[in-house]
Amino acid sequence: MKIKFTLNGRPTQVDAPPSMSLLTLLREQLGLTGTKCGCDTGDCGVCSVLFDGELAYSCLLAVSGLEGHEVTTIEGIAGPDGSLSDLQESFLHNGAVQCGYCIPSMILAGEALLRRVPDPSRDEIRAAISHVLCRCTGYQQIIDSVQEAARRKRKDMESAL
Amino acid sequence: MTELKYVGRRSRPEDGLEKVTGKARYVGDYYLPGMLYARVLRSPLPHARIVKLDAGPALQVPGVLAVITAADFVNHSNLGWPLKDAYALAWQKVRHVGDPVAAVAAESEKSARAGLQAILVEYEALPVVGDIHHALDPDAPIIPDTKEPGTGNLTNTHLVRFGDPDPILENSEVVLEETYFFKHQEHAYLETEGALAIPEPDGGLTVYANDQSPFINRDNLVMLLGLPTEKVRVIQAYVGGSFGGKDDIGYQTSAQAGALALKAGRPVRLVLTRTESFLASYRREAMEVKIKLGASKDGELTAARVNLLADSGGYASMTPLSSWRASVHAAGAYRYRAVHVDTKSVYTNNGYSGAMRGFGNTQGIGGIEQAVDELAFRLNMDPLDFRLKNCLTTGDIAMTGNPVNQSVHLAECLRLVRQRSDWDRKRAQYASGQKGRMRRGIGVACYFHGSSLGGEGADYATTTLKIEEDDSITLTSGLTDYGQGSRTVFMLIAAEELGVDVERIRIMRPDTQTGIESGPTVASRSTMIGGNATRVAAQRLNQVLYWAAARTLKCQPNQITRHGELFYAPDEESLTFTEVTSLARQMGLSLYVQGKWQMPIFTWDFERGTGVPYHCYTFGAQVAEVEVNLESGTTKVLGVWAAHDGGRIVFPGGAFGQMYGGVAMGIGYALTEHISYHEGYPQALNLHDYHIPRATDIPPIDGNFIQYDYEDGPFGALNLAEPMMISTAPAIANAVFQATGKRWRTFPLTAQVILSGRDDPARDTAAACRKGLGLLA
Repeated sequence: MKIKFTLNGRPTQVDAPPSMSLLTLLREQLGLTGTKCGCDTGDCGVCSVLFDGELAYSCLLAVSGLEGHEVTTIEGIAGPDGSLSDLQESFLHNGAVQCGYCIPSMILAGEALLRRVPDPSRDEIRAAISHVLCRCTGYQQIIDSVQEAARRKRKDMESAL
Repeated sequence: MTELKYVGRRSRPEDGLEKVTGKARYVGDYYLPGMLYARVLRSPLPHARIVKLDAGPALQVPGVLAVITAADFVNHSNLGWPLKDAYALAWQKVRHVGDPVAAVAAESEKSARAGLQAILVEYEALPVVGDIHHALDPDAPIIPDTKEPGTGNLTNTHLVRFGDPDPILENSEVVLEETYFFKHQEHAYLETEGALAIPEPDGGLTVYANDQSPFINRDNLVMLLGLPTEKVRVIQAYVGGSFGGKDDIGYQTSAQAGALALKAGRPVRLVLTRTESFLASYRREAMEVKIKLGASKDGELTAARVNLLADSGGYASMTPLSSWRASVHAAGAYRYRAVHVDTKSVYTNNGYSGAMRGFGNTQGIGGIEQAVDELAFRLNMDPLDFRLKNCLTTGDIAMTGNPVNQSVHLAECLRLVRQRSDWDRKRAQYASGQKGRMRRGIGVACYFHGSSLGGEGADYATTTLKIEEDDSITLTSGLTDYGQGSRTVFMLIAAEELGVDVERIRIMRPDTQTGIESGPTVASRSTMIGGNATRVAAQRLNQVLYWAAARTLKCQPNQITRHGELFYAPDEESLTFTEVTSLARQMGLSLYVQGKWQMPIFTWDFERGTGVPYHCYTFGAQVAEVEVNLESGTTKVLGVWAAHDGGRIVFPGGAFGQMYGGVAMGIGYALTEHISYHEGYPQALNLHDYHIPRATDIPPIDGNFIQYDYEDGPFGALNLAEPMMISTAPAIANAVFQATGKRWRTFPLTAQVILSGRDDPARDTAAACRKGLGLLA
């Protein structure tokens, strides 16, 4: 079936089977391999994307439900000139990155949270990233990173006012 | 400690940019033109003879281009080390559920699956060995092909002989005798196992794999496919976590993909599904730990006798070695007058066991740290005071009878976690009459962990450094990084020793054609062994540069001093790095060097159980605070305080990541993670039934490194990674004991275990296991 949706800010049209998962569409048809597969059963969350701004598991979303919606993957997070987002920067600086397999989804989980809550507590961050499993980090430096990015973002906003 | 420019400073991970932008390519991210997809036919039975296997019909399925069985390899695909008892594809028998039998490559995943269904296979089911206690019974069905080197289902034995503990135990005023049980733990890396094999025009093969040790992978491919060494190249793709788990399974997977690619003449990618990963890969061995421990009534440990029984599963994999590490740590980081350890590993049909973070010491320390706590309780002593009274200090004799030849800061670790956790106040508070359903407790455990391979084998690594034409510096190491941060460690050490800007240094992907064989990337050995090799290489490169500079500056090389990248003569005249490299090239000097470093030689006598097991150790202590809900049976960890004595920290972000990640894995091991087997059938096959901790399951962790320069380490570094997970689970068990007054002597302490009120639920039935998982959901 033919579907029109917005992918990383760009109007996109695809022709794919309606039951194909968004994960397969992204990886195999659109070449966006930053979205990872960890289980394909909705348990691990490393295939997360932003679906209309909310964190969603792309392995559980079907092509048939994409029409008119907005999808952001990790490839849509850095600026067009390659400049890193606050979250990407702070992940690099706070030891949050080990094997890296969950990191795209962790950054998107942080992004979804910061869009809703500019000043999250550590428990709020913990809850927001709990949709994504990580086996390497024990989460602590990921939480540090989201907190630091929030602080930086608020500072930027204050100085812009 | 002297301040250094790069070592010990906050820095970005060397390969972080690719990872935060989603550009890092893992095996499953490669899509090549003409690439085929592979799938593997796996045994549905835990133990069976293969009566008939006809793979031919798979080739009739549209889209299928190749199919293989054991017959397509040299010597029926026989592989394995230290025991060569396994196969890339099963030969004559299957020994566990998920054992691979045949593999298919096809134009699509769908065709590959259809191909598998067309394969004709008949099994004759054999009786199953499901209980380690019956594996050595005279009438037990025999699992391995041959009776060598053990007999029947005996995989291996080990022993430790230090003095004679029996008369001392007889005369000890307090003696504890208990048994602790540890179930299987799955690595559960988020990326499953995989390989991409590309046939080359010269008949050779290039393999991208998510293995730990590409050179071992290459050597296995050479052996199994009958190719010359120079025609097989293995490149390590980015690896999505490993924790010891992508060694043997990585070689098996690469061999399957490699044979299919050669047969089809097309690139073949094999990536396991999550359920396959659970079924096909090895895991931490289940182990029974029996401890007899003596002390005087004033709280001095006297002697220990430990018996270990490890579940190797269908194949040996690393169990012969991990059970050795368990043996030489099993009485813990304490002073004794005598210790005996007797270890057996046995074959069963419970999957198969192999390397996982901690490598036997998880169970070794896991057992003794609960036993020591029980002994302290009987003596009415504070468990932390008891440990301080008995723990190893500088100059002491370890439980294996060898002196510990390094400065030991274990007591400092214990005192630090005591202070930071507010131990004395909380311990007293929780000891006095708690009421209601929520009960709190605080517990401690400490550890020692032999550094690197120890008595397991030669322990060396080689780093190469090359100054390129643009004056960037490329580094190769035979050791690899699957998330632990060793690439960054090598980069920082090279920049520090060379005195150059860190931005100049680029690290190549691990590749058997550019790097130099350095043994396996295991045993938390990269920082110390690979770091020293990097330092040696940098020193050799500096010799060349100093020589070139000296000639132009008209002085002796040893008169040159450095300020950043500038080379100064005694008369203050200077040259830039670029000027020096240019001079060196004009002089015809090679700007490529190799640096090798090897651990000092020492010996362990495996026959007698005596000697020196390791050149050096790391030490540490952890405190855990828990809250147990007596109605629901659930345990919440409220906080963990950790201190590790592992030399100078090179890359703090990575080191703290290892500490927090280790603690999180230890929390999983303590409370939720286990694979129980029922008659050889695993009871968890996906991340829905197997619970690794989520962010909400992990409390704030207070991490501390006790930093003293270690003289044989690069810039004083020792090692970390594995040891930091091993004391988390016993600390939690000891905290749960304070909270509930009960000891279960098994992990994990699931709600089902807590509610059962039984002391030994080690041999759960499958139904009880399912009920336990249900209660947790």
